[in-house]
Parts: sequence; structure tokens; C-alpha cells
Amino acid sequence: MPVTAVYFDGQQARRHEVMLSLDGDVLLLQGDAVERRVSLSALKIPPPLGNTPRLILFADGARCEIADNQGFAAMLPHAAASWLSGMENSWLYAMAALLLTLVLAAVAYLWGLPYAAREVADRLPDYVLVQMDNQFFASLDQTLLKPTALAPDRRQALGERLQGMSLPPGGVRPNRIEFRGSPGLGANAFALPGGSVVVLDQLVDLADNDEEVIAVLAHEMGHVSQRHAMRQMLQASVIGLAMAWYIGDVSSLLAAAPTALLQTRYSRDLERTADAFAADMLRINGIPVSRLADMLRKLEASHRPDATKTEKAELMIDYLSTHPNTEERIKSLRGR
Amino acid sequence: MTDRQYQQFHFTGRGGEYFRIWIVNVCLSIVTLGIYSAWAKVRRNQYFYRHTLVAGASFDYHGDPKVILKGRAIAFLMFAAYSVVSQFNPAAGVAIFALIMLAMPWLLVRSLRFRLHNTSYRALRFAFHGETGQAYVNLLLWPLLSFLTLGLLWPMAQQRIARYTRDNSAYGDVSFRFEVGVGEYYRVYLMAILIVIANFAAALSVAILLADSGLMPAGVERTALIGAIAGLGMYVGIFVFVYPYVAARMQNLVWNNTSLADHRFVANVKASGLLVIMLGNLLLIVFTLGFYKPFADIRLARYRIEHLNLLAYDSLDQFVAGMQSRTSAAGEEMADMFDFDVAL
Repeated sequence: MPVTAVYFDGQQARRHEVMLSLDGDVLLLQGDAVERRVSLSALKIPPPLGNTPRLILFADGARCEIADNQGFAAMLPHAAASWLSGMENSWLYAMAALLLTLVLAAVAYLWGLPYAAREVADRLPDYVLVQMDNQFFASLDQTLLKPTALAPDRRQALGERLQGMSLPPGGVRPNRIEFRGSPGLGANAFALPGGSVVVLDQLVDLADNDEEVIAVLAHEMGHVSQRHAMRQMLQASVIGLAMAWYIGDVSSLLAAAPTALLQTRYSRDLERTADAFAADMLRINGIPVSRLADMLRKLEASHRPDATKTEKAELMIDYLSTHPNTEERIKSLRGR
Repeated sequence: MTDRQYQQFHFTGRGGEYFRIWIVNVCLSIVTLGIYSAWAKVRRNQYFYRHTLVAGASFDYHGDPKVILKGRAIAFLMFAAYSVVSQFNPAAGVAIFALIMLAMPWLLVRSLRFRLHNTSYRALRFAFHGETGQAYVNLLLWPLLSFLTLGLLWPMAQQRIARYTRDNSAYGDVSFRFEVGVGEYYRVYLMAILIVIANFAAALSVAILLADSGLMPAGVERTALIGAIAGLGMYVGIFVFVYPYVAARMQNLVWNNTSLADHRFVANVKASGLLVIMLGNLLLIVFTLGFYKPFADIRLARYRIEHLNLLAYDSLDQFVAGMQSRTSAAGEEMADMFDFDVAL
């Protein structure tokens, strides 16, 4: 059965209507003002791609376009498909590919990315970390943080007490411990990606004794020892890039929202690890582990009373979603 | 016989069909740790090009996946280096970004060369002959001047960019011609500004009405509330009215003033049509967690392509093959990675 096609000679844009037929393994092409006989082995016939016209490419740059896909497949059955086009044409394979994609994405997100982030974070040299934290302090001090109002001897006492404590195996001391004030952030302490710890004045004020401050600092040192903040930051960058790549066409604003949502999961796991580290460190140094539990309860209460103000409410939601349930943490600390 | 006949561009791709190709592409790209993505790009382009038909023939894409993969590897390393460095040292990151910006026109020229050289219609290739020096004037200097004049020169810059890219593009041995004054560009933007002003007035009145209606929560300051509602109204208004209007008018303006030998083009994209498609696509992509993307791409491509006509003068048979130059994909992949684009 001959098949109708259009032929272009590759030299001129003229369109020739032609008929294709087979004579053994020679392709016969006949039409207005053109006639060719070419051995099949000298032709390139790309595999089908969806329902696009089938093509025959000649060595001299000429080409045929065949809209009649079925007629073409009947004439040249061996050139009808490849494994790839077979997959692309089947809904079964498409669904399998969809499922595999979702599974792989989940595996990469749950295990691959945290593993890679840990490996990279562990290998970063110290000078990079120090440099980074300098940058962070430079920008934080201009925006969120204010100079501390704590008396110098109180700060010094806390610092010296912490320096004198012994660390559990694998423990690392922070690069810097800095005291700052911040009306917006309330009672809080946090570790920066480079391994510095920031203690806010309100947290020190909230504590009934130095041991409670030390307990929170021990928790932060748990983050520092395992470079949690750095790992978080690396993961957030990768997820942000992936999101921007995936839906970047739509809007970069949309890309930012899911990134923030996906991030909270890491924090919960890491908080538990830091709690365990703090408990070990407190026990080694003869400080009751309950100091951390007491402090957690006070911190929770300190963030709660003004919850009616929207600003505080946002902070509260933020605090709740990135930290495991406080009751659960206290219970698990009491069990140690 | 001097026949001027309309030849509508047709797009025959279908969402379901492309979804299968897309998901296989995504899956294989992940399994091969990104290596297959170069082949995926070729398949995607071939799918869209081969489904685009005019005057009884389809377009085709000839990019070599191995060349694209090499370009992608270079672009990825550069981008990774930039991301990492800017993470640890913002100042160095800014310096690198400035360097890349400085290289941008050079990259764009290579990108256009690769893209057009690898596009064919009726077995003849397209080509790009633009010079790099001219690219610096048209693709960097003019946008920079428009930035320095707070956007006053932006329509002018756009006209220069379109003229540079079109006048230097060729099909076979014939160059495209782009002839339109800057005035037309300013008219589009003047209209856009009028829409923005009308939009602002509407958003402000709605905000004031809402703030005084008593429906709003108590205890929030009135001016802050009005500001917030009006701001939201402006944001939505710009997305819903201004962006589709400018996008539609620009596509029409550019194509209606482009010619190839004695053949002309007629584009009649409507802002309302573009708005319906873009809004629908956005909502469906969000609700399907991104899996509507292939369908969205097909819808948008169909709308844009089917609203373009070739106003052919006599027959198209006269074109003959032109000279071709060697191209590499590094420029195109770099430009892609850093999101530079010039609309063609």
C-alpha cells in the first residue's frame, strides 16, 4: 500500500506531494517533479514521537513528512517504534513513571537530602564557618538584634561556667557565644549555621538561675556539635532551587511558600537530637536534667500570654511548628 | 497572479499525549541523575516543533543531546559555584553575578545561534547572524539605560532588542526584517499605565468601602487596612489585567511588523484570551501540585501559535538553504540556567 507524504529536497523550500512505496528494501518516492529510489539502510527513520508526523531523513539533507502514521507503520513495521516511544505512548508506563517519580522524590527528600547535607556540612572547613557567621552577625545586628543590656560580669560568669564544663563524646564548643537584646524575638537562644550561639537577654532574665541558662545553651551546643543549622541551610537551599526550577515559570512567590512548609520536618528531628545531647552534657556535669525541662516550660509560657496580638501569634505558630510538642520533650527529658 | 493568502499556524499537540512524554522525561531524568535531561529537552522541543504546522509543513528541532548535555554540565557547575559562594560570602557572590551579567549578551548570542541553527522548516535551517558587539549595545546597554531612567526608556530598549534579534535572524538565505518605530512601543506602555491608574483608583475605592463597611475585624488601624486591601487589589490587578495586556500587545506588535522577503505575519492574540489561559493554568498547577504543567504548556502553546498567521505572497518555494556556522550549546544552557531569555 503506497503512503502519501510531502517531500523537501533540503536545498529549496518547495513542497512536493509524493507517494511512498517499498520495493524490497528500497524506498520508492514518486511525485510532482521528483523521483527517488533509496536503499532503506541509507535512510534515517526517527522513532515516533507522540502523534507528530513521521519522518524519513535522507543523507543529503532531504526529508519526508508523513501525516498518515498508521499507513507508515503498516508499510515499515520494523521502524514503527522504539522502547522509548512505546513507553511514552502507554498510559500504563506513564502511571508507573509517575509513581516512580513520586517515590524517588520522597526518598530523596526524606533520606537522600539529609544525608548529603550532613556529609557536606561535616566537611566544611572552619574558616568558612567563621566567615559565614561574621556575615550573619553583620546583617542580624542591623535588623533584628540590639546590643545586650546584661551586665558584663554576668555574661562573663556564664561564659566561663560553660567553658569549664566537660562535653559528651562528639561535642563541639561554639565558635562564639554572643549576648544580644531583641524586643521582637522574646526569650530565645539560637545557633547560627557557622556554629555561633546567640543568647537573648529575655532568656537570661526568664531563668531563675545560671543552671537553667546553661541547660538551654547545652541544647544549642547540641545543634552546634552536629552542625544542624548548616545542614538546615544547605537543605533549604537545595529545596529552594528545586522548587524554583520546578514551578519557576509560574511565580517565584509560589516557590517560596512550599519551601517554608517542607522545612519544618527537619527541625523536629534535630530538636530531639539536641535535647538528647543537652541531657547527656548536663548529666556529665552534675546538673539536673530537669533544669532544661523547667526552662522549656517557662519558655512556652513566656510565648503564650500575649498570644492575642497577631505579631506574637505568628511567632507562636512558628515556634510550635518547628519544635516538637513541649510536653512530649519534657516527658522524654524526665525519663533520662 | 499576486496572491496574498492567509496561512494559519496550527498546533496539533494534545495534553494527554504530552503528559506521557513529560512524565517519562521527568522520571528518566531523575533515575539518571539528570543526564537524561538533555535528551528530554530535545524530545520536548521536537514534540512542540513537529506539532507546529503552517502551509502544509511542520517545524523540527535538531539539537544534539550530547552537545546540550555538555552545555548543561558547564552551566550547572557555574550556577552551583555561584550559589555556594554567594551563600558563604555574599560580596563574592555579587561580584560573580556581575561578571555573569557582563557575559550575558555574549551568552545570549550563542544561545540564539544554537536555537535557530537547530530549527528547521521544510528541510531548511534557520540561522542567527547577530554580532556580539551589537548584542552588547542592544541587550545590555539599552536595558541598563532604561534602568537608570527608572524605566522611561524601557519601551525603547524593547524595540531595540526585538529589532536586533529579528533583523539578524534568517530562514534559509533570507533575513527577517523588523520595521516599527519606538512610538508603537510607547503607545502600548502608555495604555498599560492608564490601566494601572484605573486599577489603582478601583482598588482604593473598594478598600475604602470595605474598611468603612464594618465587616472588617475591629482593632486594626483604618489606614493600614485600606493600604493592605488596596495593595492586594493592585497585585491581583497587575497580574489579571496589565500583564496579559502587555504580553498580548507585544506579541502582536512584534509579529505584525516582522517580514520575511515578501511574506508578512499577522498575530491577533487577545489579552482576555491570554488571561483566561494563564489564570486557569496557574490555578490548576497549584491544585494538582504541579502535575498539570504539561497540559498548561500545551494550552498556552496552542493559543499563541494558533493566533499567528503567515500572510504569504505567492508561494514559499523560493527560499534556498543558507550558509551555516558551527554552534555550541553552552551559551543556551547558561542563559537557561540564569533565566535570561529573549522572546522570539
